[in-house]
Amino acid sequence: MSDQDLKTSVKGQILSISDLPTLPSVLDEVTKLVDDPNSSTEQVAKVISKDQVLSAKVLKMVNSPIYGFPGRITTIQHALVLLGLNVIKGIIISTSVFDMIQKAMSGLWEHSLGCALASGAIAKAAGFEDPEEFTVAGLLHDLGKVVTAVQLPELNEAVIMTVKDKDLCYYDAEKVVLGFGHDRINAWLARHWNLPPNVREAMTFHHHPDRAQFYQQTAAVVHVGDFIVRLFEYGNGGDDQISYFKPAAMKILKLKMKDLEPVMDELSDQFVEISGLTF
Amino acid sequence: MDKNNDHGLLGLTKQRAILVSPDDSLKELLMSIWPEDVIRFEFYTKAKGAIEEIFNNPPDLLIVDNRVTDITAAEMARLVKSENVYRQLPVVICFDESDLAKPWDWNEIEVDDFLIRPFFMPVVRDRINLTLCRALRALDANPLSKLPGNTSIIQRIQSLIDRKQDFALAYCDLDYFKSFNDKYGFSRGDEVLNMTARIIVNTVKSFAGEQSFVGHVGGDDYVVITSPDIVEEACKGIIFSFDGIVPNFYDIEDRKRKSIVSVDRQGVTQTFPLMAISIAVVFNIGGKIKHFGEVSAIAMGLKKKAKENPKSNYVLDRRTP
Repeated sequence: MSDQDLKTSVKGQILSISDLPTLPSVLDEVTKLVDDPNSSTEQVAKVISKDQVLSAKVLKMVNSPIYGFPGRITTIQHALVLLGLNVIKGIIISTSVFDMIQKAMSGLWEHSLGCALASGAIAKAAGFEDPEEFTVAGLLHDLGKVVTAVQLPELNEAVIMTVKDKDLCYYDAEKVVLGFGHDRINAWLARHWNLPPNVREAMTFHHHPDRAQFYQQTAAVVHVGDFIVRLFEYGNGGDDQISYFKPAAMKILKLKMKDLEPVMDELSDQFVEISGLTF
Repeated sequence: MDKNNDHGLLGLTKQRAILVSPDDSLKELLMSIWPEDVIRFEFYTKAKGAIEEIFNNPPDLLIVDNRVTDITAAEMARLVKSENVYRQLPVVICFDESDLAKPWDWNEIEVDDFLIRPFFMPVVRDRINLTLCRALRALDANPLSKLPGNTSIIQRIQSLIDRKQDFALAYCDLDYFKSFNDKYGFSRGDEVLNMTARIIVNTVKSFAGEQSFVGHVGGDDYVVITSPDIVEEACKGIIFSFDGIVPNFYDIEDRKRKSIVSVDRQGVTQTFPLMAISIAVVFNIGGKIKHFGEVSAIAMGLKKKAKENPKSNYVLDRRTP
């Protein structure tokens, strides 16, 4: 099969995904809150904001044309206000859980959550408004990896083997096996799901923030966030190597390396705090 | 005379229906179900006289028997449904089992429901009730937000007044919606209207155990009817969510500048703030209001006061009768 054929067939399979499973413990926590009439939207949003799969589902739904404002809603809190708890209940009932790949996925889950926290802290340090929008972008930056694992288990297995055998980073191994990386898969998903342009560009260009068209800052924040969370060795995005750090990202953010020091201090506290959530 | 309380149309009165059928037993059955002040029937054995009456004075419901001989029931349905003036009129067709030997083309014969012999009273009753309710709902829903419109809003207010039940009515409308619509076009304006409808509905729904109603008057005007105890909290919630979400609907430059700039026909540059939501709240406590017209009159007066503030805000009507 030529590269082009593989890309077309993989794209079709990726976009046909009807259900992304999430981790059982996260689902339990959200289910409990949603079933409690006394819990608030804020509380539910806080828990959903920790999970990349549920967050992606919620954003996908609120930005679908059915609601009449595709591509407008960036934060989970706003999504919940607009969807209402009945729809959230529906999403939760229809979400299944990871069994087989839970172990591998929980590393990615932590990595995504870590990147979300780091992205929020970096956005704050860079003086941007609405750090929550950057948090969401950080949370979803590796969603393509989850989708590949679920939809294309054999290819996913081949990528993991390539990482081990050839001592490549995950991103390069994807390119060897598939001919493209999860950033491309992210781009397909984000467009197919009408995600807002800032989230879409961050998902697509978090490895190359300088290539983003309109939202270089969001992509750069996630790039730096991805780097920092690997530095902390919190979670696992699929490889042991520190990702390549692009100095251009710091330039886009108008930050110096020493500006990241307070960010690192804040994060190390947060990572200790949330490590109780891990599996 | 209250010969039957079990007709199931408690919210509806004074519907006018026409039955076209040579079958006297069907006529008697229908008359036995609903009292005259709920559905008043007019009966025709042939289509000829009925058609003129339907065109001159359309009823709320038309029931046509397929046993009518001068023209077919299908033809009669077609006559009604092919004119947009009469299209909304619900039509129910009555069959003998043999009429359904072959499937009917419901795209061709646009009736709303059918009944089949032998007529079983509860089915006839509920089919007709459902048809009437469905027609009212479909007619009154706002095509954009799908929320109930003015007919339902007025019905709701008047029935609360009649039942002497306390309520609060919050009238919500947007500030600077027109300048947004003018700059970005009506399709992005519609996005904002849909968003606003969702916020209002979900905020009101989040108060567990409260019976609330949200209607869409049209354009950027919405109505919430709820209990006086929670209305202030609901206003705060709506404003908080609206102010948080509305910036997403602007282009990035305008969002940063927190305003839109446009040039009017005289060539004068004008600056408009981001949209805000104004809410005027009228209370009806202890039966002081007798008619729904009073509610909207008070709300319109208060609305002006709420609009004096360019930011989102709410004004409560605290005057005593």
